Amino acid sequence: MTKGIAKENQIVDKVKEVIGKSVLEIEIPRPRRIFILIDKKAFGKATHYLTKKMRFSHVSTITGVDVGKEIEVIYHLNRGGTIELSLKVRVAKDKPVLPTIIDLIPGATLYEREVHDLLGVTFEGHPDLSPIILPEGWPPDVYPLRKEWTLKKVQKRIMKGGKQ
Amino acid sequence: MSYPTIRIPFGPQHPFHIEPEYFMFEVDGERVVSVKPRIGYVHRGIEKAIEDRTFIQNLYLIERICGICSHAHTTCYTQAIEEILGVEIPPRARFIRTIIAELERIHNHYLWLGLAAHEIGFETLFMYTWRDREIVMDLLELLSGNRVHYAMNTLGGVRRDITPEIVEKIRKGLDALEERMRYYKKIAMTEPTISKRANGIGILKPKDALALCAVGPTLRASGIKRDVRADDPYIAYSEIPFNVITYDRCDVISRLFVRCDEVFESVNIIRYAMEHLPEGKIRIKVPRRVPEGEAVSRVEAPRGELIHYAKTNGTTKPERYKVRSPTLGNIPSLCKMLVGGYIADIPIVIAGIDPCFSCTDRMAFVNVNNNKQWILSGEELRRYAIKWYRKE
Amino acid sequence: MGLFKWARTRSPWIIHFNTGGCNGCDIEVMAALTPRFDVERFGIIIRGSPRHADMLVVTGPVTRQVRDRLVRIYEQMPEPKFVIAVGTCAISGAPFMGCYNVHGGIDAVIPVDAYVPGCPPKPEAIIDGIVKLIPKLRAG
Repeated sequence: MTKGIAKENQIVDKVKEVIGKSVLEIEIPRPRRIFILIDKKAFGKATHYLTKKMRFSHVSTITGVDVGKEIEVIYHLNRGGTIELSLKVRVAKDKPVLPTIIDLIPGATLYEREVHDLLGVTFEGHPDLSPIILPEGWPPDVYPLRKEWTLKKVQKRIMKGGKQ
Repeated sequence: MSYPTIRIPFGPQHPFHIEPEYFMFEVDGERVVSVKPRIGYVHRGIEKAIEDRTFIQNLYLIERICGICSHAHTTCYTQAIEEILGVEIPPRARFIRTIIAELERIHNHYLWLGLAAHEIGFETLFMYTWRDREIVMDLLELLSGNRVHYAMNTLGGVRRDITPEIVEKIRKGLDALEERMRYYKKIAMTEPTISKRANGIGILKPKDALALCAVGPTLRASGIKRDVRADDPYIAYSEIPFNVITYDRCDVISRLFVRCDEVFESVNIIRYAMEHLPEGKIRIKVPRRVPEGEAVSRVEAPRGELIHYAKTNGTTKPERYKVRSPTLGNIPSLCKMLVGGYIADIPIVIAGIDPCFSCTDRMAFVNVNNNKQWILSGEELRRYAIKWYRKE
Repeated sequence: MGLFKWARTRSPWIIHFNTGGCNGCDIEVMAALTPRFDVERFGIIIRGSPRHADMLVVTGPVTRQVRDRLVRIYEQMPEPKFVIAVGTCAISGAPFMGCYNVHGGIDAVIPVDAYVPGCPPKPEAIIDGIVKLIPKLRAG
């Protein structure tokens, strides 16, 4: 569908200008929605450009997805309430590390902590990655949204007593 | 070296502080120096469970993420999946979804007004607003069969239609709700109890609101004109004229007025929608299996921007489903508002963001000067605050 | 009938606790206090402390982190005491059954005397459940 996505195309072109070959995949499924997968090495440059130069200064949330050997971290950035640009970057599951973006957008703080809790991604430079979503006493090696931690496996590990 | 600790055995449950929660405050005398939130108490593991259920089963689970924004959640969900499926629901369904969404907003704001009144000890206002709230609950029950959890949304549209008789009843109900809210707004503007507790309290400057990514009435009460219904229209909002309400005093009273005025806007949106309700089907059939894809869905829930991210894999169950409720979006701003304020302001400032966890039942305090620690239940803090302000 | 029994059955005192539900049942429990349903006309009063309560009204599917507090509240209540599970979550866990963090039903944790089904049950149903336990209080 190409109707009415001129602005979105412009944005993607600008990002390509700045980080070139590090843009791996682009999807513009409809007006006001952009999905860009980038190479991790361009992460700092891309986030700085989008948040400071292109005014994508609102982070709606950050999603972590287990995609097998890697964890895909998606930054859902918004400009002026309208265009939602989902910036995706993948990190190795055995060493999932990304720099924090709270120096660019302080409001990202709890979202990074949430991805840390549920998928074990470390955000370098974040002053406090203590549990925010998971309850007190949760075993630190259990990342419930990783595929290898099936529902049954998580349940068995954390529940004591009760019907289940 | 151990410091003397004073523990007030924390109160048991109070009916008005319904969801268990946790905040840790560092204080210096009567002033809050820092806040640390921990929301693990309400963790249920919903995102994981969603991956284990079919798309239809998930309708019922996602609806129950929150009993007060349940239609917002299912609207956000059905939109995401319908987008991946590449289907457009019938226009009549879009309008019905909008009518329910706005009734839900009116319900939420009336409920909130009552709870905020209770927070500052204004019991009469709580009783009045909750009595009037019954008007909108009756309308929702008439439309959907249930007072809470309307289950109106399904994949492909809505499940029940609106008859002309129901339209008439809604019109009458809206007239009453509008009139009552005018009365409450007047009280809010003139009652000294309210202004003492809410004027100039819980300040959130626009710059901070934006940097901390605040959403909803909290953001709009700092003068920022952002509303998903206007900026990123969905269901029928691009076809219905309405105003985005902002106030620029950046305090709790602004947040109150934003919600009052939003009720008036909701009333008008519903009137317009009923007047221009398109004919035709209310739903279309969609396949059980959803092709591989992803979508980001955004909705202006009564409490603010609600965002869902859906990833599908060609089966009957989602690959990944992410939900970010508006309250989580406002917690950093809440912490900012609380720091530098009085302990006695904590209950109303927390209430001011209309949190989806209610004012906590467990709040821990540490005095930075002598390391004294104590825990207060939400009810104990509420009573402390009321007493403190009576002395002022 | 002894004085205490008379006083207790004249006006059962309730304590309410949410074990991790969506709040839907809680707002209907609260609505029961408001003028339209006005549970106080039956002499039913919601109290703040389990030490003064005759009945524990519980909602929610009992998350793992709340379980111990639920047990503690139950233990703090003096005999005779009764528990009402309000809502489908409190009865069986409902849509949260199978979630990794959820016990699923109050009676997995403490004994329950009355079940009020619904998602959520209407305030009338909740009041009905409470009122139905009054003969048990009298007999107890």
